[in-house]
Amino acid sequence: MADLAKMRNEIKKIVQRDDVKYVIGYEKGTYGWRVSPSFARTPEEVDKFIFSPLCVNNLAVYLVLEEKLPLPKGVEKEKKKIGIVVKGCDSRSVVQLVQEKAISRDDVVILGVPCSGVVDPRKMKEMFGKEIGTVAIEDKGEKYVIVIDGKKREVLKEELVSENCKTCQYQNPVISDILIGDEIKEKKEENYSKVKELEEKSTQERWDYWKEKFEKCIRCYACRNCCPVCNCKKCMAEKTTPVWIRRSVSLSENAGFHIMRSLHTAGRCIGCGSCERVCPMDIPLSKLYKKVEKDVIELFDYRAGLDEEEKPLLSVYSVDDSNEYIL
Amino acid sequence: MSEFEPNIVAFLCNWCSYAGADLAGTSRIEYPPNVKAIRVMCSGRINPMFIVNALQEGADGVLIGGCHPGDCHYSQGNYYARRKFQIIRKILEYLGIDPARVRMSWVSASEGQKFADVISEVIGDVKKIGPAKNINRI
Amino acid sequence: MGKDRIGKLVQILSRNTLYAPVKRDGITTFEKVEKVEDIKFDYQNSDVPPKNVLFPQTETTFKYTLGKDQKIEVPKENGKNIILGIRPCDARSFSILDKVFEKDFLDIYYSEKRENTTLIGLSCNEPGINCFCTSLDGGVGDKEGLDMLLTALEDEYFVEIATDKGKAIIENSPDLFSDASDEHAKKKDEINKRAESLMKRGISVEGIEEKLDKIFDDDLWNEISMKCIGCSVCTYLCPTCHCFDIQDEATLREGRRIRVWDSCSNPEYTLQASGYNPRPARINRIRNRIYHKYKYYPKNFKVIACVGCGRCIDKCSVNMDIVEVLSRVKKI
Repeated sequence: MADLAKMRNEIKKIVQRDDVKYVIGYEKGTYGWRVSPSFARTPEEVDKFIFSPLCVNNLAVYLVLEEKLPLPKGVEKEKKKIGIVVKGCDSRSVVQLVQEKAISRDDVVILGVPCSGVVDPRKMKEMFGKEIGTVAIEDKGEKYVIVIDGKKREVLKEELVSENCKTCQYQNPVISDILIGDEIKEKKEENYSKVKELEEKSTQERWDYWKEKFEKCIRCYACRNCCPVCNCKKCMAEKTTPVWIRRSVSLSENAGFHIMRSLHTAGRCIGCGSCERVCPMDIPLSKLYKKVEKDVIELFDYRAGLDEEEKPLLSVYSVDDSNEYIL
Repeated sequence: MSEFEPNIVAFLCNWCSYAGADLAGTSRIEYPPNVKAIRVMCSGRINPMFIVNALQEGADGVLIGGCHPGDCHYSQGNYYARRKFQIIRKILEYLGIDPARVRMSWVSASEGQKFADVISEVIGDVKKIGPAKNINRI
Repeated sequence: MGKDRIGKLVQILSRNTLYAPVKRDGITTFEKVEKVEDIKFDYQNSDVPPKNVLFPQTETTFKYTLGKDQKIEVPKENGKNIILGIRPCDARSFSILDKVFEKDFLDIYYSEKRENTTLIGLSCNEPGINCFCTSLDGGVGDKEGLDMLLTALEDEYFVEIATDKGKAIIENSPDLFSDASDEHAKKKDEINKRAESLMKRGISVEGIEEKLDKIFDDDLWNEISMKCIGCSVCTYLCPTCHCFDIQDEATLREGRRIRVWDSCSNPEYTLQASGYNPRPARINRIRNRIYHKYKYYPKNFKVIACVGCGRCIDKCSVNMDIVEVLSRVKKI
């Protein structure tokens, strides 16, 4: 992150605009290495904003999470914009939301920040789980410089960075009103190595692997709630007429829920990895969603979250779609 | 020891594959009786969750029957169904549910024999791999 | 009791249904065990609280079949349960849960299991970084809710008996236990004191009830609730949260009625059949949750419905921190 002061200045200008309600960004968390989403309504509140490899959350979810409560008669809907700080992956979420008309492009002011990777919270917890004092991280290319209580430590980047970020192809935001920081020139390739590893196993081995994972699931729906693209007013998992997925927690229902969610986000998931990050039971969801992403690219040459004007995957078809496995 | 008799649920589109199944019946073509047909108006109506729910409720295999591409009674329904089918099939295969359980076929209203052949093939394949116990609710 | 004797103790205890912390694919939960090798004793605290044992996530209240041989059957839980290795905070949560499951109308599913369960605790030698049980009348060696408490000394466990049920265990296998000396007691006190001094978080909850009364409409709740994503992680992993829903799962011929965990952070929790929702926004639901734990529950049952285990702080993905919220409440 090039210059924190510069970022805060740019954001202050946005917050002071008449047509902006508030700006969503990141602030220091309440202990150790945690970072919390922050909502700034005044320039003073912008002073809390930070940006570092610890800023893992995908903030685009707040654009669709805000409740639109019924207004009393005579009161008009507020037409103000929302500013949002986005990393490369998060910007694709915003594009996807605009594509699906969940939000309008005019509703947001996008502050793009080129990102060279964020940490994996599980690895952070393992290494720094006992630190209650503030842990600050600076990205120095191949390594992270970590400052705890004034003492510096150096750790190799690959020991802490999220697996997702190692093969990120969109480190620069694909859409932004204002770009804060220098564009990253480095190009990485997605190789789907973890997905291929699992694809190569036998059917029974794959089932045994996923059975163990799905049995852990407690159906907290954190994965669904943190995903910007999961924004149905009434989730199919909670419908009772008819019942698609029962409320009881068992292998069958848990598997059904995860199959359902991966179906509904096919061609819409941009691979930010939030679902895996927030899961309290450490279920490796990115292996499943990356597989769907790979299939959608191979079968239909379709990539989510890149073009605002593109049509959603399942609302178009091609006469030449694959006829594989069809009798 | 009686042989395993699979339970196949077939979602058949009203205009083509259901009519094809009908024709197989009126022409007295013999095919295995393990299939339970559910008529839908178009294969595009099929929500991929139908397949998942069928497997949860005890079906050993699911077949989706639709019109040939280009001949859909509602012009594009089967194209959408084809897309959805490809996605759900790949997901289920990745999770460890044998891909032989979820099949799709294009059967037109005049192809009674083809319908019988498709059913026999699907049932034969499912018989080989045994009952579906993965996401069975029961 | 010597640490080498724990295997024998487990063998004797597993004649009943024994639950102990087990590490399953990276997650520690309380599950049925039969051998001491399956038990993981060096854990800070389990990811899923042991309320799962007495108040399962999915519980059948009755099953039925229709038709000629129509019948209704209520599942019978017989046999004694023992939970081994539970932390004092989690044990305390049971005495808090008892109050709501036994008020006015006895919840037979919970209380039958509770009566037949013996809790053998393991005190914490090192607290987690988000633990704050000492702020809520708890402690690393607190015996509230426990029948027996083990404190790990160097080569042995210091055993303390709290109730008759705990006494029964010792009387059942007297050769495993020996009298403790004053030395042992002193070492145990030292260990407990050291553990409590390592606890870095704390908040005084004195007067919190009255304070919350006054600040219902404060902007603080708006600020806090904006970052909540409304998942159910804090409620499901909280040892004292006890909301549930009753659902019917039925086919044409048979079915069952189940009780499942529910969460007040879901919008559907208060959704009425008319479509009206008295708690439509996250601010209503989060404010309600904090008020329930720190004001409504103490008003009804004279005890704060929080044991300070810190799981909600650990597992919340957006860093919702109850200790920070309470300290801000006090400052208003």
